[in-house]
Formats: sequence, structure tokens, C-alpha cells
Amino acid sequence: MTMNNFPKLSLSILAAVVTLAACGKKEEPAAPAATAETAAVQACGKVTVANMNWQSAEVLAHIDKIILSSGYGCEVELVPGDTMPTLTAMMEKGKPDVAPEAWVNAVREPLDAAVKAGRLHYAAEALTDGGIEGWWIPKYLADAHPEIKTIDDALMQPKLFPAPEVKDKGGIYNCPAGWNCQLTTGAAFKAWGAADKGFVLVNTGSAAGLDGSIAKAYERQQGWLGYYWAPTSILGKYEMVKLDAGVPVDKAGFEGCNTKVDCENPVKSDWPKAVVFTVITDSFKKTGGPAVGYLETRSWRNETVNQLLAWMSDNQATGEDGAKYFLKSQPEIWATWVSPEVAEKVKASL
Amino acid sequence: MSTLVEFPTMGAEQLSSLRRTIDGSFRTFSREYGETLERLFDPLREFLIFSERLLTQSPWPVVIGVIALIAWLASRSLKITVGTVLTLLAIGYFGMWIDTMKTVSMIFVCTVVALAVGLPIGIAMSRWDKLQRAINPALDVMQTMPSFVYLIPVVMLLGIGRVAGMIAVVVYAIPPVIRFTNLGIRLVSKDLLEAADAFGASVWQKMFKVQLPLALPTIMAGINQTIMLSLAMVVIASMIGVQGLGQPVLKAIANQYFTMGMFNGLAIVGIAIIFDRVSQTYGKRLQKHLEVVHG
Repeated sequence: MTMNNFPKLSLSILAAVVTLAACGKKEEPAAPAATAETAAVQACGKVTVANMNWQSAEVLAHIDKIILSSGYGCEVELVPGDTMPTLTAMMEKGKPDVAPEAWVNAVREPLDAAVKAGRLHYAAEALTDGGIEGWWIPKYLADAHPEIKTIDDALMQPKLFPAPEVKDKGGIYNCPAGWNCQLTTGAAFKAWGAADKGFVLVNTGSAAGLDGSIAKAYERQQGWLGYYWAPTSILGKYEMVKLDAGVPVDKAGFEGCNTKVDCENPVKSDWPKAVVFTVITDSFKKTGGPAVGYLETRSWRNETVNQLLAWMSDNQATGEDGAKYFLKSQPEIWATWVSPEVAEKVKASL
Repeated sequence: MSTLVEFPTMGAEQLSSLRRTIDGSFRTFSREYGETLERLFDPLREFLIFSERLLTQSPWPVVIGVIALIAWLASRSLKITVGTVLTLLAIGYFGMWIDTMKTVSMIFVCTVVALAVGLPIGIAMSRWDKLQRAINPALDVMQTMPSFVYLIPVVMLLGIGRVAGMIAVVVYAIPPVIRFTNLGIRLVSKDLLEAADAFGASVWQKMFKVQLPLALPTIMAGINQTIMLSLAMVVIASMIGVQGLGQPVLKAIANQYFTMGMFNGLAIVGIAIIFDRVSQTYGKRLQKHLEVVHG
């Protein structure tokens, strides 16, 4: 760059910066008018909300973000999360502030201890029906083989559920690492003696792997047996039937051993209804203001969630799109979670 | 002013229906041809399973002995052979033997496939400019497209497991060997090619007796990169169900077990260094015979 070009270059950069700043400035005059909102921001402040990596949690996190920011004036930041890491971080470090859809079965004991110590609090029961976990088979298989009703029945026929890469063995698809279902499914595999019955546990590696295996089997009408849970869009799109465990829920054994990493003698037990709570930290409860009241009321039924997830799946929608669609199309459900003024603010922002 | 701040987009309806059409047509394709494609890959799957069984079920002293022998024959260096043996012993002692053998088997097959496919393509590219122009964009896509984007359709067609994993690894690891081979051959001095012509060399004689030997340093660098990138893909492959060192690393990431992740990561690094040093020393020995000075 010669000395001749330098002034021209710097002038053009300056011009560009000034133009952009002028465009930005046009937004500012709106701010001073919203003094009521600034008061609300001071009441609520910054909130970090865990955005866990499955669809129902993602859409709920986005719904919370929209309602908390436009309705209560909080400054919401979504942070990626997962059951085990997020809840551990909340217990140890107090961050993030809110876990909208925490499936607490796996960490019940330490979580209860943290709640007792006052570091964390259970807010609303996010899924009123709770999560339904278990081992599922495709509906076409259940129709073709009406004798398969329980897990024991399925384990008697390894040929119907071929493992992807092991010849002559059945495969039970497990869920990825980090999910507490990986531990419980492994424990159930051991408790039911599936290895002796000619099965192997197939590690799918990731949510995408697990979903992909179901999609592939369903499109080709092949057999599939493995862990899944409701409410999800995969179960909305591909109709599956949950296998009856054949035994009742053994809560003590399940929580005492099956959910732990080094469980030597897992028990045969049905999956207890997975209680799903919103968990908030003590610091947020103290500083959140009326927003905390929202988080303590907000809960929805599996039916609603399944429908929303099916819509999202059909429309290739992200969590954000799904949240906006839900807020626009079903005000009768979410208006009950908030006061009328907040409802008006949220509706206006959509 | 708002149209300048927010980019004008295709309508949400159109975008969504475009996505649905493409998805729908892929699903139909998968339903029609999925089975045939899967059968096509069966021999490869059998070979992958066979090679893994060979390494995991043989007694460990035999495996270490064979690997040390290969290292010695390729490198003729005591330091490298002893280093190899010590690394493998450490890996086994820390409880990572089976996972490491699975990874070694998988990566070995993937690297061989990558080299078998990549070297000829690189050589062809160096001869025909049009081919180079056509293949370069494809290589760019292969190196930068996030793996899961093309893995979703692959998993739908071929299922999770070794074959999908091999496709992921090969697609990511093959571009370096293609590019470096192409580059190395093109960089051979024109004077030497003229001299070869003057001596009456045919096209193939020029390729195998002049160009390839002189391009060897660059080609070896490409092979080294391919090996490194194959091992780097180990964790991604484990996300579609491939067994080996990737799965404990994934478990460690998801559950936040730092030490477990570090140990398995170091095992991957150890294997990478073994593969690399042995192949590089072999490459240098090849060049010694041809009296080419390696930089």
C-alpha cells in the first residue's frame, strides 16, 4: 500500500463505520420509552437456561426464553446441555440457572441432597405425565407377532431383531453416553440375562445414531428392539409399541443400583415413570422476581408435546420455530402459566 | 433500513416445503435402493469384522510381536521398534487394549482403502488438468462439509456401524493424499522430464521411474496426513456406533470424566505416532535406495 492509497482507504473505512453506526442509532430512540421494562430487567436480570439436546427439551427451552425475555424482561442466554453434565454443573457450580426439562431419576439422591441443602429448588413438574421410558419394538412387528408382549417374549426371538454387525445375534439398541438411560438399559440387559439369550448391546454413539437406526429399520420394515422414550417426535413419526416389562417397578433396586455406573447386580424392574422437573438454582430463585413464579407453574401434557413434536418433524422446524408455533397457535394452554399482562407482552412480541 | 439489516429470505413456507421435498425423495430412494446398496458393502463389512476379530482375539504377545516385527522391517530403527513396543505395553496396562485393537484394525483398513483409492486419483489428476479442475471442488467439499451432514443419509442407507464409520473416515482422510500426490508429481522439474523424453522413456516409464520416485517426499507427507486425519475421525466414527477408542472418549466428554478422556486420547496419539514414524522412516528408506535427498 503506497502512501497515496492510505488516506483514501481510511476515508472509505470511516464512511462505512459511520453508515453502520447511523443504522444502529435508529433503534435507540425506542429504549427510553420502556422504563417499565428496565425496571423488570432489574427485577429479573441475566438468566442462563440449559438447552438440552433432545427435541422436547429444546422446544421448552426456547418457549422459556421467549416468555422470560419478552414477558418478564429477563436477559436470557441459552447454553447447551445434557442431563448429567447440566445437573452436575448446577449442583456443583450453580450454573446454569434453569434446567427446564430435567429428567431427575438418574441423579435423584444427589439432587434431593442439594435441594435439602437449599442450593437448588424443584420448580414445576415440566411434563405432567412424566416421561415414559422402556424398550420398544416397531408396530408392524408387534402386529405380525402378537405373541410378543413382554421383554421376556422378545428376548426369546433373537432372530427377529438382528444385530447390525454381529452375525446370528440379536441386537438391543442402547442410548448414547451421557444419558442416564445408557446405564439403566445396560443394567436391564444384565438383569434379564439377554447376553445368554443370544443378544448383544449395540452402542449407537449419539442421538443421531439411535434415531437413524430406528428410521432405517422402519423404512425397510426390519426388526428393531431398543431403548426409547416418550414424548418424542420419532415415536410420533414411526409408530412403536412399548414392551411390557413383566415385572412391577422396583424403585429401591432401580435407583439404588440400575442407575449407577458400577452396578454389579442390577434388578429386573420396569422403568419408573420418569419424573421431569424444572430445576432452578437458589440464586436465581432469590433474584428472579415474578419470572420464578412462571417457572413454578409452567407444565404441559405429553399429548401436547407429542403433537408439537410431530408438527416440528413434519416441518423440519428447529426448537425456536416450534416454540413460536406453539405460542402462536395454542395461547389457551400457555396463557394459564402467566399473568394476563405478561401474556399480552408475549403475544405482542411474536 | 430494516431490509438492509435483516437479509431478505426465501419465504418460510417455501424453505420448509423445499426441505420436505428433498427429504421425501431421499426417503423414497432409501426405500428402493437401500437394501441393494447395503448388500454391495457386505464384503467390506465382512473384511472389517474379520480384521477386527484377528487383532482382538489373538493373544496379545503375538500381536505386539507382529506389530514390532512390521515396525522393524519397515524402519530398521531400534528406537522406533522399542518405542512401539513400550507404547503398546503402556496402552494394554492401562486397560485400553481391546479398544485400541479395534481402532487399529478400523484405521488400518480405512488408511489402506484411502491410499488405494487416493494414489491413483492423484496420479491421474497430475496428468490431466481438466480432471484436476473437476476433482478439486469435490475435495474441498470432502474436507470441510461437517461429517454428520452426509452421515445422516449414510446411516439411513447402511445402518450404524463399521461401514458407515469407514465411509466417514475415508471421505475425510482421502483428500490429503490426493492433493499431495498431485502436487508432488506436478512439482517434478521439467528439465528432468525432458531428459527422460530425450532418453526415449514411454509415458508409464516416466511416471514410475522418474516422476513417482522424485515426488516421493511429498507423497509421503500426504500419506502421513491421511493417517493423522483417519485417527482424528475416530471420535466422530464412534458417534455412529463404531467401537474402539472413540467411545470411551465420547463417554468421557458426555459424563465429564476428564482423566478417562485424557488416557484414551493419549492412546489415540500413541497409535498415531507409531503409524506415522514407521511409515515416514519406511518412506525415507525408499528414498535412500533411490539416492533422493529428503528434506
